[in-house]
Amino acid sequence: MIAIDHVSQIFQTSGRQSHLALSDISLTIEEGAFVSILGPSGCGKSTLLYIVGGFVHPTQGVASVNGRAITGPGPDRGPVFQEFALFPWKTVLGNVMYGPRQQGVKSAAAEAQARQLIEMVGLKGYENFYPKELSGGMKQRVALARTLAYHPAVLLMDEPFGALDAHTRTRLQNDLLNIWERDRKTVLFVTHSVDEAVFLSDKVIVMTRSPGRIKQVIDIDLPRPRRRAELLLDPRYQKYVVEIERMIDDTSEDELRP
Amino acid sequence: MITGSALLSRAAPLLACIGLLAIWQIAALILNTDSFPTALEAIRAVPSILGDKESLINILASLRRMAIGFSVAVALAIPLGLMMGRNRYVASFFNPLLMITYPVPKAALMPIIMLWLGVGDIAKMLVIFLGVSLPVIYHSFQGARAVEEKMLWSGAAMGLSAAQRMIRIVLPAALPEILTGCRTGLVLALITMVTSEMIARQSGAGNILFNALDMGQYDTVYAMIIIIGAMGIGLDAAFEKLRSRLVRWSEPGFDIPLSFA
Repeated sequence: MIAIDHVSQIFQTSGRQSHLALSDISLTIEEGAFVSILGPSGCGKSTLLYIVGGFVHPTQGVASVNGRAITGPGPDRGPVFQEFALFPWKTVLGNVMYGPRQQGVKSAAAEAQARQLIEMVGLKGYENFYPKELSGGMKQRVALARTLAYHPAVLLMDEPFGALDAHTRTRLQNDLLNIWERDRKTVLFVTHSVDEAVFLSDKVIVMTRSPGRIKQVIDIDLPRPRRRAELLLDPRYQKYVVEIERMIDDTSEDELRP
Repeated sequence: MITGSALLSRAAPLLACIGLLAIWQIAALILNTDSFPTALEAIRAVPSILGDKESLINILASLRRMAIGFSVAVALAIPLGLMMGRNRYVASFFNPLLMITYPVPKAALMPIIMLWLGVGDIAKMLVIFLGVSLPVIYHSFQGARAVEEKMLWSGAAMGLSAAQRMIRIVLPAALPEILTGCRTGLVLALITMVTSEMIARQSGAGNILFNALDMGQYDTVYAMIIIIGAMGIGLDAAFEKLRSRLVRWSEPGFDIPLSFA
């Protein structure tokens, strides 16, 4: 379980100004839940994810995993970034083996597992390619496999499909859901796409624009396994999307008010 | 099958050299002075230099000093540059020092260094070291600074410590840039090697060249220029081969044949 307790984040900007990125966020995420954080750009949603990852230390408040306060990054929380952040000097296989090798898994075992994961994300045959030889969608598949390889209990996904074209994005959403439905890891998923959040999540956290506050938490009560074609026709799905979109529009108007 | 254009691009460096020698030959024949031998006369003097045991010892001594100066410089400059690139405080401490020393021609320091260290190997290796260090530090710095934060975060999540991230992520990620600096450094090593021997005349390739100049043996002078030039091309080509092997993962699809590699 992830607990975020009265977390605020202040950034020092140039000219000795300070910017309140997150304001008093409290939140709990159950084990095995797929939770999306949704909000306009600049609402601090990625910052919140980085705090859970241990990459950013909150100015105030505490974030904890299973009762232990987060002090830094660790292999129990695996990030997947929009920028992929693959190691370009390693092949696909080398990238996926990197985490387990770091944790002392024997080379043969790490390789066998990596080959399995590469097949699972649909990249069989690309084991010896370098990242620069892959398309954006393929890179993100490698990044997902690389993170899954060291068995994090929590997946931290920072707008992972944001840099991809619509078609690739849809395919990766489907594949992610298939993978998730198999082993039900806790997923914290940052996005600015309402469709994506509703399609994937058990729970959607809507945030307001700067300073980032939680506007509302919405439970997505849609049956699983979810299939895109059925879901798009489902009036409950459509209702969630419309409701959340309206909520985000309100947030933007708040912003415009002096 | 080799196409016509591929053959041309491979032969281009050779054609350029032949063209240069041809212009030299014609210019020397037109000018017809003792101090400017023809290309053929200069080339003819090359085997007699390389066949002479003492000259060979001199040239090898030069190469040895260059190798040591270059290696020590690279070994110290890469870690310093990488640390500057990843740590604001290290960068703000060393940056002004480097900015001050960058424009100073390193060979111009030779007379001062000779006062302290004499005319021997140490003084010359120090000058080579100084000449090589700066471009390698600068490129390592730039390379390390450009490393994506998220890549380091990914490593941290896998359990890599700060020191491990430096060696296993920053170093390989910055390697293409570092090697660009080393290539510049290698050429500078050759230049400072010759100039250091021009100032501290005791032994070496530069010494042969400038002694021949004093004695009016112009074919030897030009032959030495050819030999030093060939050494430069050879070293650069060898380094380029090594470099492209090490960073094949970052290379774009084609490269310009800058050398004979």
